Amino acid sequence: MPSSDPLPPKEGALFRKLLKCYELKQYKNGLKLAKQILSNPKYMEHGETLAMKGLTLNGLGRREEAYKYVRLGLRNDLRSHVCWHVYGLLQRSDKKYDEAIKCYRNALKWEKDNLQILKDLSLLQIQMRDLEGYKETRHHLFTLRPSQHASWIGFAMSYHLLRDYEMANNILETFSQSQTSIEAHDYRHSELLLYQNQILIESSRLEQALDHLIKYNAQIVDKLAVRETMGDLYIKLRQHELAVPIFESLIRRNPENVLYYEQYLSARQVSESSAVVAVYREFQEKYPRALCPRRLPLNVASGSEFRTVADEYLRRGLRKGIPPLFVNVRTLHQESEKATVIEKLTLDYFENLTRSGHFSREDADAGAAVEPASALVWTALFLAQHYDYMRDTDRALDYINVAIDHTPTLIELLITKGRIFKHAGDAVEAYVWLEEAQSMDTADRYINSKCAKYMLRANLVQEAEEICAKFTREGVSAMDNLNEMQCMWFQTECALAYQRMGRWGESLKKCHEVERHFAEIVEDQFDFHTYCMRKMTLRAYVGLLRLEDVLRQHPFYFKASKCAIEVYLHLYDKPLKSEAAIEEIGIENLPPSELKKLRSKQRKAKKKAELESAQAAQAQVKREQHQKSKQQASQETDPDAPQLDELVAEKLERTDEPLERAIDFLKPLQQLAKERIETHLLAFEVYYRKNKPLLMLQSIQRARAVNSAHPEVHSCIIRFMKSLSSALKQQRFNEHVQQVLDKATKELIGSKTLQQLNDEFIAKHNASILHLYEGARSLFELDPSKKDTAIKLVTNFNPNKLRLEEAIKVYTALRDGDVFGECEEEAAAYQQACQQRFQYARIFRNIEELEAQLQEKEAAKLRAEEEQLQLNHVDSSEAISVSATAVTAS
Amino acid sequence: MNIRCAKPEDLMTMQHCNLLCLPENYQMKYYFYHGLTWPQLSYVAEDDKGGIVGYVLAKMEEPEPNEESRHGHITSLAVKRSYRRLGLAQKLMNQASQAMVECFNAQYVSLHVRKSNRAALNLYTNSLKFKIIEVEPKYYADGGGRLCHASRPQRICGGR
Repeated sequence: MPSSDPLPPKEGALFRKLLKCYELKQYKNGLKLAKQILSNPKYMEHGETLAMKGLTLNGLGRREEAYKYVRLGLRNDLRSHVCWHVYGLLQRSDKKYDEAIKCYRNALKWEKDNLQILKDLSLLQIQMRDLEGYKETRHHLFTLRPSQHASWIGFAMSYHLLRDYEMANNILETFSQSQTSIEAHDYRHSELLLYQNQILIESSRLEQALDHLIKYNAQIVDKLAVRETMGDLYIKLRQHELAVPIFESLIRRNPENVLYYEQYLSARQVSESSAVVAVYREFQEKYPRALCPRRLPLNVASGSEFRTVADEYLRRGLRKGIPPLFVNVRTLHQESEKATVIEKLTLDYFENLTRSGHFSREDADAGAAVEPASALVWTALFLAQHYDYMRDTDRALDYINVAIDHTPTLIELLITKGRIFKHAGDAVEAYVWLEEAQSMDTADRYINSKCAKYMLRANLVQEAEEICAKFTREGVSAMDNLNEMQCMWFQTECALAYQRMGRWGESLKKCHEVERHFAEIVEDQFDFHTYCMRKMTLRAYVGLLRLEDVLRQHPFYFKASKCAIEVYLHLYDKPLKSEAAIEEIGIENLPPSELKKLRSKQRKAKKKAELESAQAAQAQVKREQHQKSKQQASQETDPDAPQLDELVAEKLERTDEPLERAIDFLKPLQQLAKERIETHLLAFEVYYRKNKPLLMLQSIQRARAVNSAHPEVHSCIIRFMKSLSSALKQQRFNEHVQQVLDKATKELIGSKTLQQLNDEFIAKHNASILHLYEGARSLFELDPSKKDTAIKLVTNFNPNKLRLEEAIKVYTALRDGDVFGECEEEAAAYQQACQQRFQYARIFRNIEELEAQLQEKEAAKLRAEEEQLQLNHVDSSEAISVSATAVTAS
Repeated sequence: MNIRCAKPEDLMTMQHCNLLCLPENYQMKYYFYHGLTWPQLSYVAEDDKGGIVGYVLAKMEEPEPNEESRHGHITSLAVKRSYRRLGLAQKLMNQASQAMVECFNAQYVSLHVRKSNRAALNLYTNSLKFKIIEVEPKYYADGGGRLCHASRPQRICGGR
């Protein structure tokens, strides 16, 4: 490749050496070579050498200097493809992919057929999903190197990704015809054939796909994929009889695959429920150890047949003592008829097992052998889980206590007891049971994780971290290790706990950590662009690309984002005061005892903060040392290592732009979690605060598209209309905007006034507390003088018809006073009413009572310890007396 | 319960399951590496709602110096405690080993297990007929555990 500014032979040789050194990551040697060239006064401004010096510096982690030299080099030689390529590489290592693409394109202007630059460009294009650009580059590469396999594959793939299936298939077909010698067991060839088959199927050319599969069957080593695809195609092409033996053999191979049974049934064209059950019975005979043929009939059977199959299924599970028996039938509870049958059956078992040790009176009368004693425990556990699911806490506790009395060492029972308390709203009692369970099997990380999760639900972040530390790497803090391992469930639960505690910065930090994991996972795909072409695992690769396209659809992302958006909204509504201001607030109004408490609290907090910052400083030193030793070891830092700002809780919670930061989290949700109404409700909250009528309207319309009957949509409309009319008083909208808004207004409220609309809404939905809540909220919003009416609307709702989450929502709104204004008395009264209804829920109990309870528990613990001590004492004295007796006897 | 071959979109949930259940954890990229190099070898068990309750993450190893052919390796296998006693681990292992033989001509399967993990040892040596090849002291990061390198001869599974 001719340079635009060529060096004489001696320097040219040095420059080639310099390139070689960079490739081999010998950055120090590279720098020496660059210095040699640049020290010649004639070439001290040589662009390409300066650029390479910069790139080499980047390899050593000296990023700022790197940019300086690369830019300098480029300025000195703007017509050099090397300089542009180098600049592109530098931007790429900095993850500025868009910029890097521009650089590569400039480089290609001066050297249009440079293979390396084209390849690098194609990688960035696919990473950034510039599919048109990718296709052009792959085409260019193909014309340059038509003899290389990778040229063909990449070329075909670029069309496939653009959904030009025909072209993609033609390319692969031509390619495979040029392939002459195929080895006996050629995995890569086999994968390529299956990839082509996938393209045919995606283009709906099913017959062609089937023919293709039959033709190449012998060359494909992934027999499972062949059979699964072939069977599916036979069904879709209505050649059912040919599909039957295929699914028979697939079931033989894996009798636990639900889809195989479904496809087998449709191949045999069996759909009537009794006939389906009969088919499953055949499979039960054939594969007695398989779970599917026993469980699946429960989904299709109904009436007395359901009773029969459920009876068989439950007895078998209870006899064997299968812990997941309940979770395996939980989905059936969605049909109330089936839930009733299951309840009736298990209640009967419980009664009969207690009486005679049999599942039924018939068994007892027939003189059948008694069931194992454990069957009673498993039945009690099942009933506890069943009533817990029904949110009948008292009965659930009754049964779990029976079970625990019977077998106190069974960990599953303690976990269930904890879960019952969690569902009943007592996170503290819940975690106590989990902690107990955890202590009985400290070698099991699952129970350890569950215990940590329950602790977080009880806002015990530090305790949770300590528990987790039993399984994280030594020498690193558990938090750091869990972050390194991308342990998102923990970080999300932490974020939520901090949010509940009002530790906004800490909460945001955790949310941002989760966000960074997702960014990293997107980054992870980079290396696979070339790797998969080489390995020919193209189906999996396309699967990866499609996954990454929608990665932030993942529930982990949704949960963390929702939390972050809520926190940022809160910080916008109630910005944090400066720390000094916090200290002095209201101190003068406090009684001396409270002041003392506050002071001691502050002292403790200060001490803790000091300790934490000291630990952080230590950790920082350690990290730096670690970094240094790593550098010394390899003489370089990884130029691809991401250089991210450290997340600092105090900075995060004091951002000047909380709404902008919320939007950062919101955007991916709007794109990928469209089907979740919460996305649009959150979007409304953000844009409402930003005073953006069109975006508010968009959020409302999208929410309505998901579920127009959702209660919150109503109050969004009211607030939107209200903000619109106050905005209009200040200034006129531009004509087009006004037209859109007018049309929307008509659609949303017609000719009614907002008051009318709200009154009608309240009247229409008086049986739903969540609707009434939004109606009441709007009532107050529209006319603050109707505060009392609004509050009564929600507090007069029959408490027996409330679910716990609903009661909590209403109560916190009253307590915090930010929905109906200050209303302490009403909140207190409502709290009492709810306590009657939800006696286990902590939120409704008053603090003194809880503290007394806690003290009582501590005291009991102390007493137990003392008793144990005395007992030990007694034991040892007994031992002495025994030996004394022994002595006497001898 | 449903047992099927893992797809790229399952890998994140497998990582989640791994973090819940086991002390040896890996970053996502390592899961991608498995799923994109040997897409046939990893399996998941899912519950009625499609949640992943168990998985096996598997790979192929290059032949040892004294061997002619390759063998499969189980990188990680876990079943949530709440789904135990259904035989899921064994069923997952069977599917993975069959795929190793079929797609990659594996001659045998190897895995590492902590000597202290008695439940796992029981599964491998008794139910799955693995043999202990080697005991490596202080293999695991925490130093306390030990490594047993177990493996078994080629198993001919149905269908081949």
